[in-house]
Amino acid sequence: MTENSLLHTYQEQPNIWDEMFHAEQVRPEYRSFVAAIENLPRTEMTRKDELAKKLFMSQGITFTVYNSGEGIEKIFPFDIIPRIIQHQEWKHIEAGIKQRLLALNIFLKDIYHQQFIVKDGVIPATLIYSCPQFLREMINVEVPYDIYTHIAGVDLIRDADGQFYVLEDNLRTPSGVSYMLENRSITSRIFPDLLPKSNVQPVKDYPDLLFRNLLALGNRHVSDPTVVLLSPGIYNSAYFEHTTLARLMGIELVEGRDLIVHNHHVFMKTTKGLKQVDVIYRRVDDEFLDPLVFRPDSALGVPGIYAAYRKGNVAIVNAMGNGVADDKAVYSYVPEMIRYYLNEEPILNTVPTYQMSDPDQRKMVFERMDKMVIKRTNESGGYGMLIGSSATEEQMQTFREAITEDPRSFIAQPIISLSSTPCYINGVLQPRRVDLRPFALYGPGGIDIVPGGLTRVALQEGSLVVNSSQGGGSKDTWVLGE
Amino acid sequence: MLSRVADTIYWLARYMERTQAMLQVIRIYYQASQDSPHDFSWRPVLYSYGHLTPEELTATEGDTPRVLEHLILDKNNDASAFNNVLQARENARAAQDHITRDVWQCLNDYYHAIRGGDIAQQIRYGDPMSGIDALMRHGLVFTGAVQNTMPRDEGYGYLTMGRLLERALQTADILRIRWVNSSENLQNGREVPELRYLLHSVFGHELYLKTYRGNFNPDSVLQFILHNSHFAHSLSSCLNRLSWYFERLRADSLPESYERLEFMVGRLTNLVKYSMVSASEPEQLNEFLLETRQELLAIAVAFGKYYFGRS
Repeated sequence: MTENSLLHTYQEQPNIWDEMFHAEQVRPEYRSFVAAIENLPRTEMTRKDELAKKLFMSQGITFTVYNSGEGIEKIFPFDIIPRIIQHQEWKHIEAGIKQRLLALNIFLKDIYHQQFIVKDGVIPATLIYSCPQFLREMINVEVPYDIYTHIAGVDLIRDADGQFYVLEDNLRTPSGVSYMLENRSITSRIFPDLLPKSNVQPVKDYPDLLFRNLLALGNRHVSDPTVVLLSPGIYNSAYFEHTTLARLMGIELVEGRDLIVHNHHVFMKTTKGLKQVDVIYRRVDDEFLDPLVFRPDSALGVPGIYAAYRKGNVAIVNAMGNGVADDKAVYSYVPEMIRYYLNEEPILNTVPTYQMSDPDQRKMVFERMDKMVIKRTNESGGYGMLIGSSATEEQMQTFREAITEDPRSFIAQPIISLSSTPCYINGVLQPRRVDLRPFALYGPGGIDIVPGGLTRVALQEGSLVVNSSQGGGSKDTWVLGE
Repeated sequence: MLSRVADTIYWLARYMERTQAMLQVIRIYYQASQDSPHDFSWRPVLYSYGHLTPEELTATEGDTPRVLEHLILDKNNDASAFNNVLQARENARAAQDHITRDVWQCLNDYYHAIRGGDIAQQIRYGDPMSGIDALMRHGLVFTGAVQNTMPRDEGYGYLTMGRLLERALQTADILRIRWVNSSENLQNGREVPELRYLLHSVFGHELYLKTYRGNFNPDSVLQFILHNSHFAHSLSSCLNRLSWYFERLRADSLPESYERLEFMVGRLTNLVKYSMVSASEPEQLNEFLLETRQELLAIAVAFGKYYFGRS
């Protein structure tokens, strides 16, 4: 390690993979970046950190917390030190995600049609039918081009062995892509010239690729399809992302109340009367989408939209009912799905997962709870989770009782030690744990993954929880070219 | 354009125009309260911009700091300047992809300025005039950002029509309330300060001085506020421009919706244009202004029904 004051105070952590350093040496993919910052005075780094914060606030890259009816803008914390991935490693990740997404998509088609995978005994039927996200309404619904998972955000973590593991497949309405785009734009401002010099691959194509796929889905109906983004509205914490994507794609941002279904076709209410909608990129969850079919108290959805979808009069992205494929209990069967549908070995590793509905596995987990992460199968965002190593006996007992009462709703995994990377916090570099969420787009022309993604950071020292709702932040993610 | 987005943009403009108008009225009343504190009352302003009970009105009308807090900063007063700006910002958030980033940032800054910090302190404990002026400058920056950055599309049309409709309503209301409360003095032509306050309240004092060379007489002031085509806040000027912007919407309208609104806007424009009201007949003036108000509100309702999808 160099004698630069910024770098030499940094301490690698034992038994944890450090993204930037190995045996006190800078890893090759970070050398160009480190060379650019190692001679910068500390004041300059702090100035860059402050500039980044100012840019986020002034450009309105914020999420809103509502207190007593009044919206308070907050910045999603951003760390200025990028996370860098070398080209070969990215190729491996890319191939792994494509393989996984392909298999999951076939699984969805299968499970909502012939169910060969169940009949062949690869996945137990009880697991599928007990999943609350399995929608009987989707049985025998033909979706355009047989694509269910148009947009996926696959969460990856790196263990101490340097291997990437898939932690979750987010196949419903994954969020965070706007931060991937904004983080890159902020980095280009605070480190001028460094991106091209370091041969970093661009991520700016994402909105174009997404729009191309959305348009392709509408081509079944008309030559110039109307594409809209359906948002729950301004009170949704991801509203900034909805406006950003709508703006970047040049499409209308609609809310449920803007749409109406007439004669099994969807229309939006405009100042010039009703205008037919052909493709809906929805950011509203399944259960709120159609009060006539799902939750009757939903004010966010559109009555009758399910019937219009079923008739093929409107394309909805992502398809309904995808939750059965990213259910945390179904997750452990994904390697089997890959072997069954594709006749290939999984490229990416999967974290060992114990089904709490299995009495033997449950017993084993109860005995070793301090070494386990317990998760609710239908929760996300870091909620409904217990990390055994930092839980109190009381918390563990609460979980034991909840698991015994409803075992299907829980799974357990051994605690994986997330890799760490240097973050610029309070004027010094400090190691913090990270994950990686690349975004994959599945269109009629195939699967595209923009080289990059959202690197989420657990900003609290020693924490393993990277979710933004639990105090997590993010970093720009650089994927280097060849 | 989505009906909801058009509605949102239209209301964003109305809230901003209303805020600017009420801040100016408060500013002028505050000046008046300092000029002649003994026979001064905030009652007409409190009546216009708040929902106080008669008892609360009586208790508050002479207490200037309390009135300023209630009218400008009070989060519990739905009609306060704070709540107007908050509503404007919430509308802007809901139409963020249809307004420019500059417009959104101006509104965001305005909101942060009025919800606390130096300006609120200035109004509460320092010089209220400086505080009000600082808030009004935010309003002017917003107007400039709209003028300079917004594309001249359908959205700009709704933004401008919302502004003009609200301005016409404010001018009619300010004129009526001021005139009714001082009609005896004005008829006699004795109270020149009243006329000055009135002109200041509608941002017309400077232009009036230039136009009438300092000759203050009630009829001239009245005709100036109703008909002067160069005065951006006169009723005629607001309605003429409202008609102009509305005509631009023809291509983006359903024919039957357009015809209904065109008739209503045309009728009101002519009602004002050919009105024969005089300062010496306050009752007739009051009736005319109330009728104008009703017609303006009917246009607002018709916009909601035919363009914004409200039932």
